Amino acid sequence: MGDRLKVHALGLEFQNPVLVASGTFGYGDEYWEVMPFSRFGALVTKTITANPREGNPPPRIVETDSGMLNSIGLANVGLEKFLEEKLPWIAGHAGNSRVIVNVAGFSTEEFVQVAAAVGGRPEVDAIEVNLGCPNVKAGYIHFGADPESIRRVIAGIRQNIKVPLVAKLTPNVTDIAALAEAAVDAGADCLSLINTLPGMKIDIKRRRPVLAMGFGGLSGPAVRPVGVACVYKVFQQLVRMQAPVPIIGIGGITSAADALEYVMAGASLVQVGTHNFVHPQAAGLVIDELEEYCNSQNIRITDLVGCAHER
Amino acid sequence: MIPVFEWVRVTEIRELAEKTYVIGFEEPRSAAQLLPGQFCMISPAPGTSSVYIPRPFSYYRTSGNRIEILFRTFGRATRWMAHLSAGDRIGVFGPLGNAFSLQPQSARAILAGGGIGLPPLALLAGRLAEADTALEVDLVYGETEGSRVVNLEGVLPGTVRLHLATEDGAVGRKGQVTDLLSDLIASCDGRPALYTCGPKAMLAAVSRMIDPARVTLFEASCEEHMACGKGICQGCVIPVKAPGNQTRYVRCCTEGPVFNGFEVKWETG
Repeated sequence: MGDRLKVHALGLEFQNPVLVASGTFGYGDEYWEVMPFSRFGALVTKTITANPREGNPPPRIVETDSGMLNSIGLANVGLEKFLEEKLPWIAGHAGNSRVIVNVAGFSTEEFVQVAAAVGGRPEVDAIEVNLGCPNVKAGYIHFGADPESIRRVIAGIRQNIKVPLVAKLTPNVTDIAALAEAAVDAGADCLSLINTLPGMKIDIKRRRPVLAMGFGGLSGPAVRPVGVACVYKVFQQLVRMQAPVPIIGIGGITSAADALEYVMAGASLVQVGTHNFVHPQAAGLVIDELEEYCNSQNIRITDLVGCAHER
Repeated sequence: MIPVFEWVRVTEIRELAEKTYVIGFEEPRSAAQLLPGQFCMISPAPGTSSVYIPRPFSYYRTSGNRIEILFRTFGRATRWMAHLSAGDRIGVFGPLGNAFSLQPQSARAILAGGGIGLPPLALLAGRLAEADTALEVDLVYGETEGSRVVNLEGVLPGTVRLHLATEDGAVGRKGQVTDLLSDLIASCDGRPALYTCGPKAMLAAVSRMIDPARVTLFEASCEEHMACGKGICQGCVIPVKAPGNQTRYVRCCTEGPVFNGFEVKWETG
């Protein structure tokens, strides 16, 4: 591969701008024989919490038009098992791919505890903080929707870790730029967006919501225009703040064309998410297509970041 | 066993019974290694359908490079599939999941399939009969209506005994598959091996009916909403018994779809 897809961000070199979104590529081992994550810019792991979590009762997922709803409830192996079993395997297979660990907590203290434990490991290139999974009880979403809470969590983590910090933002607010501002002020090195949107599907035969928890997070191509708009808006906000903070664009990416929309809106990196379920090799195909595109246009991918803002 | 993602062409699609179709395609690498109880994820070629998330289907038949899936129209994905034609391209990802045990540890294997739970059991019946010609194999198959019964002539080896039940009484014995199964087990001298697949209510009824001391094994193939098929999305969990009367969630796609029927918590989740 040539250098056209290389991206320098977070003080790291990414061999290409294509990452996989948290929760859609597990711990890297599940799809390994079909799609080795070592080809990606980075693997972003499933969200890790302090304790193992069983997650929500089924049904947890259902298809909707051009997308799906999920209510997994942050099911994961927990911090201890992740550090002992999953992380060494990931590091041993990463090759030129960066390793980004997604973390969450149910209190500021838990966020800091998990991030500090993960961030202390030399195998970890960056941490992505999940600030707004809509699928856990106790008003978690309000937490990620409140700039002051974001400030507290990001500042708390920042004081305790040296590795680059990515704040993953929820789109479920009136003004996502305010969340971006809070995260950057508190010390985030990068912003990733968007997380899922709340949605519901009702089974009209049973006259009840399909998902056991009622609500789920909407993802897939249906949310792409929302994601692109959020990236565009946050890019403008960062320009206003004169903050040279890179953006990772997420939401409904299925092809290079989709990824390019995010890049042109202002994303330096992108994450392929739900589409990994549709085609396990999707992220690899997006990389191939992006390289073809850059070759045909005789440009580097970084030349296009935010170009849609030019007048 | 390494799963393969391939774009394949549909070689054949036929309606076998009411709302019930068989679709055939060639995928040599899967055909060579797949086992009864395993499944594949089927998805539309890009831009050909509004169906987005792949759907899981158990394998029904194989011969040479050829694979057949038996399905019934139920929702949008199966309706999309029913409208496919020979030559259409589909995505196939498999073989996935675990398989039924091919060691029944008994001289008799009883397979009970309700409705569209039939396909993995039809494949299993053939494999069991091939592997051990002395094994007695009974396939108990039930449908709600006679119009939905799939003709299994030529599908099962001649040595497999077929027992048919329909709730409308149009074909076979009038009643549910569980009625037939209960009688068959009662008539067994030894301890048979029991394999099942079907709607959750049927599997729950079978589990209530079976005395663990009367069978060598009780394997049930389960189904749940699924997205990745490979253990990543955690969407397809099945509740199973955990120590201390607790419930643990295990992934249908990875730890299953075949479970020890005595371990599943049928009434939960």
